[in-house]
Amino acid sequence: MKLEVKNIHKSFGEKEVLHGVSFQVEGGKALGLLGRNGAGKTTTIRILMDVFHANSGEILLDGKKFVPLKHRIGYLPEERGLYPKRTVLDQMNYLAALRGMKAKEARESAKKWLARLQVSEYEKRKLETLSKGNQQKVQLAATLVHNPEIVILDEPFSGLDPVNSQILKDVVNELIQEGRLVIFSSHQMSYVEEFCDNIAIINQGEVVLDGELHKIKKEYGMNRLMLAAENLSLDQLKERMEREWQDLVVVSGRKKEFLVLELQEGKARRDVLERLAQSDMIVDKFGAYEPTLNDIFVTKVGEQG
Amino acid sequence: MRKFGIVLKYELKEYFCNKAFMGLTILLAAIGMGLLFLPRFIDMSNLTGVKIVGDSKEESEDATQEETQEKFLYVDQAGVVREEVLVQMFPQSSWQKAADEEAVRAAVEAQEAEAGFVVTSPTSYIYYVYNKSMQDSDAMMFEQALKMFYRMDYCETSGLNLDEITSMFDVAVTMDWEIINKDTGSNYWYCYTLVILVFMLIVYYGQMIAVSITNEKSNRAIEVLVTSTSPNSLLFGKVVAGAVAGVFQMGLILGAVLAAYQVNREQWGGMLDMLLHIPTEVLLAFGFFGLGGYLFYAFLYGAMGALVSKMEDISKSASGLMVIVMAVYFFSLLQLTNVEGTMIKVLSFLPISSYSTMFARIAMGTVEAWEIVVSFLILVLSILGAGFLGAKLYRMGTLRYGNPIKLGTALKDLSKNEN
Repeated sequence: MKLEVKNIHKSFGEKEVLHGVSFQVEGGKALGLLGRNGAGKTTTIRILMDVFHANSGEILLDGKKFVPLKHRIGYLPEERGLYPKRTVLDQMNYLAALRGMKAKEARESAKKWLARLQVSEYEKRKLETLSKGNQQKVQLAATLVHNPEIVILDEPFSGLDPVNSQILKDVVNELIQEGRLVIFSSHQMSYVEEFCDNIAIINQGEVVLDGELHKIKKEYGMNRLMLAAENLSLDQLKERMEREWQDLVVVSGRKKEFLVLELQEGKARRDVLERLAQSDMIVDKFGAYEPTLNDIFVTKVGEQG
Repeated sequence: MRKFGIVLKYELKEYFCNKAFMGLTILLAAIGMGLLFLPRFIDMSNLTGVKIVGDSKEESEDATQEETQEKFLYVDQAGVVREEVLVQMFPQSSWQKAADEEAVRAAVEAQEAEAGFVVTSPTSYIYYVYNKSMQDSDAMMFEQALKMFYRMDYCETSGLNLDEITSMFDVAVTMDWEIINKDTGSNYWYCYTLVILVFMLIVYYGQMIAVSITNEKSNRAIEVLVTSTSPNSLLFGKVVAGAVAGVFQMGLILGAVLAAYQVNREQWGGMLDMLLHIPTEVLLAFGFFGLGGYLFYAFLYGAMGALVSKMEDISKSASGLMVIVMAVYFFSLLQLTNVEGTMIKVLSFLPISSYSTMFARIAMGTVEAWEIVVSFLILVLSILGAGFLGAKLYRMGTLRYGNPIKLGTALKDLSKNEN
């Protein structure tokens, strides 16, 4: 299964908010949709779900026009909401039936997901009587109740405490293992980093970076090194690098325990190693630097303003 | 269709599992029935004219005469009053001669007497009454009595036979009714009641439907719903469920009242026939047109509910619709006495008004079969049109929170397919 979003443009009134968004994701993999507030993530997801109509562009599933209502899709919207005055099980059964399940199958699946998300005890309670975290878990159970083949989660971790976040992480991992196609947006880079094989960073309505996460990291880490010395503080080390090593490296960043150095054009790691061997520095940390997703995000979004 | 059924079932459950809704329905039906069974258990003969003793009944006029006698006073300054005539003309009343005009006034003021009459000459009198009611006929009756005294005196002094003259002037004429088409007089009150009933259905349940739709926007469930099934299934399911609940509630109450009246009609002396003894064909016409009109407006109310996201904005959004409903309601009531007029004929083909005007024409006037069929077809097509338009507005209104969307803006956006 392959979902392709191609060159989506969307305007509200006179203002264009998406300027040709494109990305793709395959079954058994997860795509993390990243972006600052108002970047266009939720609008993209809503277009994907046919809540909004795109002005131009297309969405294809295995090469054919994607019509959400014709597929089993589990969609967790950013604006959470179910029926506060109805019981948990009642509305889970209803949503499962609306998405094509038979009554008995719906009931069994609803019970299974409530148990999986550890909210079985509330199945006969009205939703409004549950805590916010438990309501969020019920909403997630309602998203998955019909065993969807495509799962789209808009900010699924917002409002969850660490324990519930862990439960959700496990569930998302299971979905990926089972071969579902998962798309989710988040501000929390660590979660995206943990699950996603692919990312798409949206900034001001444009995809500024997309592709396989490990390749992106490798690309961003290329020509970058990390260095720390036992006999020099990071400030001293930085000063020395800028004073004596500028023909070889440029200090491009500073982390808590090391400096990030970028090789000058035409130089290699071996050159740095040789210079280190000749110096009086007692090397504490040295190696290829792999950037975090957060670094990549800040760099990419920062570049775009 | 299956999805529509699922939505319908879920929404109906909302109504039928609602204790307040069911409780109110049963309570009102029970009260209606209870009131109509009252003459079986309580002596209401002063109202119904029928006295029930155990299972047998007897006319109660004599038995209740004492209890219901009204007391009248009179002063005869002209010396013409004949008390036996007054007693005859005012049944269930007692007459007493007062000392003077002041005594009459004081007794009426103290509400010791129903009214008082001071006869100042054979052709003039003063009428004393504490509160003059709209149905007060005592003065008119007394005037008739005074005329009778005058005729009696004249005949006596002229040596004429009053009975002979009276029988010559008031010769008894008998008549048999043969109504070829409709009895407008007796159908009037059914129509009046049923027009009010549909109006109540539209306003009360229409509002309820609008609230249930706005509720989905305000609790943000709408995004989950429109991505789970088609807006047509959702809106049709919700509106039809609201309509079914309304018909169930009103039908149960009305059915209970009509059935209870049928059972107790004899005990009521047929006095509520004009309201509750509704002929089957009138009920059938009401069933098709009244409920059709109700469904038509229910969809429009549903669409109005989709244009707002806050409960407090519903009345603002539905105010235009309310004006139409009210105008049709008042016009229908005014035109009940003129069911052959051109205006009511035109209105009986419009879906906004046929629910009451065509129904009134069928019940009280002359209407061709083709007119009924055409009007009903227009109504059915309009219901479907209102339903699909409502579903489009519902879909368009998804995620448009904040200020109410004006209908004109919504239709403009719809034509541009903007969402």
